[in-house]
Amino acid sequence: MSDPVIALHAVKKNYQDVPILDIPRLELPKGIYWLQGENGAGKTTCMKVMAGLIPFKGEILLQGNVSSRQHPVQFRRLINYAEAEPLYPSFLTGRDLLELYLNTKGGDREAVRDISESMGVDIYVNNPVSSYSSGMLKKLSLLLAFTGNPTLILLDEPLITIDTRALTVLYDLIRTYSANGVSFCITSHQALDAEELTVTGTLKVAHKNITLS
Amino acid sequence: MRTTSAILSKIFTQRFYIQNTGFFLVLFYLLFGVVNGANLVSYHKALMLGFLGNYSFLLLVMLLWTSYALKCVGFILKTFQLQGYDFLFPTLGSVGKPARIRLWLLLHTAIYMPVLVYAGIALMMAVQYQYYVSAALIVVLNVANCVWPLRLYERKLAQPDVLFFTGHLQRWLNRHFTKPPVLFFLYELLTNFPRRIVSTKLFSAGVLWLTFLIMERGEYFDLRGLQIGVMVSVMIHMQLMVHHRAFDDTYLNFMENLPIRLVSHYTRLMGVYVIMFLPEMVMITVNGYTKTPVGGLITVFCTALSLLILFRCLLYFPKMNPEIHVRYTMLTSFIVLFMILGHYEWPAILLLQAASAIIFFKKYRSYEPYIPPES
Repeated sequence: MSDPVIALHAVKKNYQDVPILDIPRLELPKGIYWLQGENGAGKTTCMKVMAGLIPFKGEILLQGNVSSRQHPVQFRRLINYAEAEPLYPSFLTGRDLLELYLNTKGGDREAVRDISESMGVDIYVNNPVSSYSSGMLKKLSLLLAFTGNPTLILLDEPLITIDTRALTVLYDLIRTYSANGVSFCITSHQALDAEELTVTGTLKVAHKNITLS
Repeated sequence: MRTTSAILSKIFTQRFYIQNTGFFLVLFYLLFGVVNGANLVSYHKALMLGFLGNYSFLLLVMLLWTSYALKCVGFILKTFQLQGYDFLFPTLGSVGKPARIRLWLLLHTAIYMPVLVYAGIALMMAVQYQYYVSAALIVVLNVANCVWPLRLYERKLAQPDVLFFTGHLQRWLNRHFTKPPVLFFLYELLTNFPRRIVSTKLFSAGVLWLTFLIMERGEYFDLRGLQIGVMVSVMIHMQLMVHHRAFDDTYLNFMENLPIRLVSHYTRLMGVYVIMFLPEMVMITVNGYTKTPVGGLITVFCTALSLLILFRCLLYFPKMNPEIHVRYTMLTSFIVLFMILGHYEWPAILLLQAASAIIFFKKYRSYEPYIPPES
């Protein structure tokens, strides 16, 4: 069997003294996963831990050999994350952020430009994010998640606030990237459209642990 | 039923005067408090006749009035960008243009009123004492200061994303210039907290000016004296460091997902403080290059930057609140002060740099904002 795309070993996360996550072991093969859980169960915390945004105890391996601790830069090159409610400095433009992501994560600029056009981000990309609506901001953060050459993309509530055209584009992108070997972990309180996406497995966050079903 | 102008007056005019109470208190003290009550009228009469009869003085007064007009314009434009004030766009946008222009004029003149009152009295004096050219200049300037902002308000309503006055320039810059991460915090200060950085820089410049003045009066120059002044200047920047941490915590969390090496993060941090301290470095160079060799200036700059970076790095201890931070910075400053007095400047710089680097490389990846437990 091939290496799991992501493996969590003894991952623990506390906020002060309150334990939020305690995952002894979790290995996910390539695929598209739907991460489910009640409000406050720890879905976003789990995603932030996986994306290297917040410190945690334990270790996460990508592709079997890229460690979150020993290869922090390579690790971040392989995993992308789009927040549920993205927040950026008000004075930055979408283009500032896009350039920053492309300069650090690398990847095909042409492909990103195409996605930008199909999602309609190119229309407002030169404006400061302070002038964006929540939907525009969400589309920008989704676009940023598709920069570089990730092996795993984490999408936190990607279905909310975006318009139907962008939603169609998003489903299309997930299918295309998945066919090219990129895995996805998606949280959503709404059911993922079965006609648009075939989910490999469902992850449930409960009692501080994640189980695959 | 409340009229639209009454509601807008509550949003703009009342807020303006409440927010600027301190400013007006200082202004009133300077205008009316520094002179004996019995001589107040003759003092102001002499002051007005002074600028009415002297064009250079009049130009200075007109510049002051225009800067106040800019303050008024800035306030109104900024109100549109405040959280919770988005409703102004659809509501004012729905008002017919002639009525809207009248509303703008009403709001702007209401907050520009202190200048209009003073200029009106000066105008009467000018006519009485036959300073007709000065009278015309006062009228033209104040009419202009009441009219040109209206165009900016109209533009703001049509282009909500324009932050500065020069919309075209801003759009051109946005298309052709990408802001590097090292400038993010400085942009934040200049766009959202200009008063904070301007006041810090004014105090810092004041301390350095005083340092040079004291040494000049005493007819001596000691590099250690300058370094003590620089240390005080660095400590004035502490409020900006705490703000820097809050800014990173709130807005730059997304950068933790970017594949950036720790050393690049550290270089960026150093870059922020080098750029931030540039005005002081220019001021020190201009005032000190004839008094000390280049090596001396470099020592002073390195001391300042090392202190700035260490003080910022201390904030990577999550529980380091502003109060504890002050204690540690004071303690560090005392140690460095004695090392400087003993001519151990470079060992002090090396120690500061080593401490900063150790703290940063150990703490950066494991740092997360501290949330105090509920009692």
